[in-house]
Amino acid sequence: MEILRLENVTFRYPKAAASAVENINLVVESGEFVVICGESGCGKTTLLRLLKRELAPAGEKTGTVFYRGTPLEALDERTNAAQIGYVLQNPDNQIVTDKVWHELAFGLENLGVPTALIRRRVGEMASYFGIQNWFRKDTDQLSGGEKQLLNLASVMVMGPKVLILDEPTSQLDPIAASEFIATLHKLNRELGLTILLVEHRLEDVFPMADKVLVMEQGRALLYDTPGQVGRRLGELQKDHPMLLGLPSAVRLYNALASGGRHPRALSDPCPLTVKEGRDFLEKHFGGRVQESGEGLPGRMNSAASHEEAVIELDKVWFRYEKDLPDILRGLSLKVYRGETYCILGGNGTGKTTALNVISGLNKAYRGKVRIAGKLIKAYRGQSLYRENLAFLPQNPQTVFIRDKVRDDYREILDVWQVPKGQQGELVERMAEKIGVTHLLDKHPFDLSGGEQQKCALGKVLMSKPKILLLDEPTKGLDACSKHALGGLLGELKEEGMTILMVTHDVEFAAENADRCALFFDGEILSADVPELFFAENNFYTTAANRMARELWPYAVTCDQVARRCMELPEEEGL
Amino acid sequence: MKKWLSCGIFFVVIPAVVIGGAVLFQEKQYAWITLWVTVLSCVPFFFRFEKKENNAKRLILIAAMTALSVVGRILFMPLPGFKPVTAMVVITAMYFGGEAGFMTGALSAVISNFSFGQGPWTPFQMLSWGLIGFAAGLLAEPLKKNRVLLAVFGALSGAVYSFLMDIWTVLWADGTFNGARYAAALVSAAQFTLIYAVSNVIFLLLLAKPIGSILERIRTKYAL
Amino acid sequence: MKAFGNYHPAVLMVYFLSVLLVAMFVTNPVLQLSALSGGALFAMALERPGNWARDGAFYVPLFFMVAVTNPLFSHNGVTPLFFLNGNPVTLEAFVYGIAIGVMVIGVILWCKCYSRIMTSDKFLYLFGRIIPKLSLVLSMALRFIPMFKRQMHRVSRARRAMGLYAADSFTDKLKSRMSVFMAMIAWSLENAMETAASMKARGYGIKGRTNFSLFRFTARDGVLLSVCILLLGVTLVGTAMGEMAFYYYPRISHLNVTPLALFLYGAFGILSFLPFFVEIKGALIWKYYVWKM
Repeated sequence: MEILRLENVTFRYPKAAASAVENINLVVESGEFVVICGESGCGKTTLLRLLKRELAPAGEKTGTVFYRGTPLEALDERTNAAQIGYVLQNPDNQIVTDKVWHELAFGLENLGVPTALIRRRVGEMASYFGIQNWFRKDTDQLSGGEKQLLNLASVMVMGPKVLILDEPTSQLDPIAASEFIATLHKLNRELGLTILLVEHRLEDVFPMADKVLVMEQGRALLYDTPGQVGRRLGELQKDHPMLLGLPSAVRLYNALASGGRHPRALSDPCPLTVKEGRDFLEKHFGGRVQESGEGLPGRMNSAASHEEAVIELDKVWFRYEKDLPDILRGLSLKVYRGETYCILGGNGTGKTTALNVISGLNKAYRGKVRIAGKLIKAYRGQSLYRENLAFLPQNPQTVFIRDKVRDDYREILDVWQVPKGQQGELVERMAEKIGVTHLLDKHPFDLSGGEQQKCALGKVLMSKPKILLLDEPTKGLDACSKHALGGLLGELKEEGMTILMVTHDVEFAAENADRCALFFDGEILSADVPELFFAENNFYTTAANRMARELWPYAVTCDQVARRCMELPEEEGL
Repeated sequence: MKKWLSCGIFFVVIPAVVIGGAVLFQEKQYAWITLWVTVLSCVPFFFRFEKKENNAKRLILIAAMTALSVVGRILFMPLPGFKPVTAMVVITAMYFGGEAGFMTGALSAVISNFSFGQGPWTPFQMLSWGLIGFAAGLLAEPLKKNRVLLAVFGALSGAVYSFLMDIWTVLWADGTFNGARYAAALVSAAQFTLIYAVSNVIFLLLLAKPIGSILERIRTKYAL
Repeated sequence: MKAFGNYHPAVLMVYFLSVLLVAMFVTNPVLQLSALSGGALFAMALERPGNWARDGAFYVPLFFMVAVTNPLFSHNGVTPLFFLNGNPVTLEAFVYGIAIGVMVIGVILWCKCYSRIMTSDKFLYLFGRIIPKLSLVLSMALRFIPMFKRQMHRVSRARRAMGLYAADSFTDKLKSRMSVFMAMIAWSLENAMETAASMKARGYGIKGRTNFSLFRFTARDGVLLSVCILLLGVTLVGTAMGEMAFYYYPRISHLNVTPLALFLYGAFGILSFLPFFVEIKGALIWKYYVWKM
């Protein structure tokens, strides 16, 4: 049964030259799990909001959205509020009240449901989602994952038939994100709930979907099963930017396709999951790879000289308060000049605390921290942050305080007492370098997540640092922005910047780091070049490596796997 | 029926309670009446707000401005006497009207006291801050245009706030209005009153414009 | 602990208002002392014993300050003790000062207990019916505060690491904090709009909103409420009859000790010691359970 139908839906924001959404025609069947993807600014969010009357943006709209055969505008407001559920991106911002139980009841209160019935429904929902243990807590005490689960539950309690989610996991750590996605999958399977989901991280979600909608510049580029989308996207355009965001197995398949070799492998359906990808590789390339003799890739001998350590931690201990447990427990670490060093590890292990100690925001109570050879204590005033060390925090919004990006950049120059006359040029030069010239006169909060990240990076770079610290730089970024960020970091490295970042993102680390380290229980357990580092991890490794490790243990990125496939001769024809 | 009931409460029960109490607690009838007048003067504002305010975005903004004024109190803790509450109330009123200002003021008082302790002073704080907000709402346009007026308003509201609160302190303690005690209270608090007034002026002059442009921006961006 | 806090918010509110009413507005010293001691015991029951001394160190000096200063301002009374700058310091004013001290400390202690017991969720529940929108705004503000505090912390760290945060002089401090404040305001108002979207998406603004709460009015609430109203009624009627009338000026009057007056003192005594009894009973019952296990 069809539940949603879009007929010639076009939408244009006031004063905008082009339509944000253009001529979308689409049918969603009841019980379908639809994943919507596209580069940022492609109109996904606008499309989703057009499906929820209360959130529909102001502007010029033509065409009709039908919900179960009735145009959206003609629906009764209660039906509309209850049956079409909408979950937004940021877990914090969606929570309205201060208590978990009240948040769960909020929607039902709005619908005017009597207290006794609310009690029952809220109890049922709390039990289904496993919220009962924190039912009476303050909403603020929850973790990000719990908050987003609460947001989902407080929409589900209203009994929606369609659930619309706009990047619900982008602010979550990988474990919380997969739990959230698993819950969605469960809702879809067990309750037959129709789900429309916009997501960046497609590794888990893509294979689950019944249909995938790929959007480009407001139009529907593809609307098909994941397998078909995986195959056809590459056919439409060999290096389509959206390919970057697809699961590793799909990317590998498309990389082979664009290389134009191994036609027999390509006649198989496109693999979607790690398991399918591994079977695919095994079937077509297994047994043809020499067991031994696989040399380590050249990045071993990177430009970084292993002589001069610019960040040096020697048995550092830290705790926030006297009576609290230690967060850093004898952490030792050396980052050499010109290298990109990635600290990986789970949530709450103290990675961010380590960055805070290195950036001088927190003081170790035992051990030594040296920055550029000098004890961190010996830096007076602001000298640590002047032409020396810069720190980009996790949330780029914390960096901005002015109305324009340009003024924010000038703020740094003002503090360094750069004459006004020279400021303009310095700002322009920085903007050009990181590619944000067109954003300089915009308000920081009007930018997309990726743009904000870039502009924030530009601001911290205004102090001409030699060492750059990044906390979770890929959080909330789509694949293209991540790729662009990787490129940018590469350029900075070329110029001699030493980069230390803390991240959950194994794929990003594998592609961009010179060395990776696993942080656990207050110290670093192992540090090595990514190829060796991931090859030795059994679980904590990239999807590409998990697919290919039987054949090529040292291949950790999709490109590396694809390259090795390409080097093999064609299969013997049958 | 419901309407009759509420009219009854308004015109019969409340006066009876006020007069009865005044007779009963003869020694402290001034304190008693002042307390009731204070509580009752908040009531029309509250009910008007309940009736009129339907926009979720405006409700959220009032909540956010209230929370900001409370958090600001913590942020400026190292600078003794510098509390941005009054400034935030005035600015809210300037851009969202006197009623929003009244609510921001009254709610800031209640919320601050959740952590600093509720007491018989709560209604007085609510009314004092609320009225400052309401007055700022009436003067919104001139306040936006004239910075001198804004500074004078800030200084005055700091002083008025202290004067009002001290009236209550004296009444409550003594039962009657004791001029000498009031004078003493004013003198002993003069230093704080002065800091209040000065900090209000500083906060208003520094914050009014930038916050105003943020609010205007939000207003256009989110179609308020 | 907090056995008393488990009663229904409406009952608690009526109770606190009753005690505060008498404590604040009745001048009879027996009633005032009984309110003070009831409040003090209740406050002690709610507080960890380790903090008793600390609180005492606050209340005792406050008491003396109020008591001693009164004769300086008030020259009523007919029994001068001595003269100060030509003004008489009277016995009556001195005694009245002590009475004010008892009243002020009593009221502050009761307010302290009130703040402990009437947490924001109970407050919101009570007012959620009368002024629903305002209560919602209050609830949202309470939800924002910890979130904004965290953001404040983040922004000031980010600015410190950019070398933009100085705290050397007063103006430096003011400037630095002001810019943190500005950044927070922009951030919070912008993000608040997403909260508004989330409210609307869940149907906020549809007519006929209900108010849900976890509180239920049970028989024991009914009992406490009736006891409370009865005792307050008795006290007020007694006051109205002039049975407990007491004057400080111009001359300190005699305390009435008729059987009726004693009965009335007893009634208010029970009222003001009620929460303390409830707390002690709760603690004892709990001890008994633990012991039985």
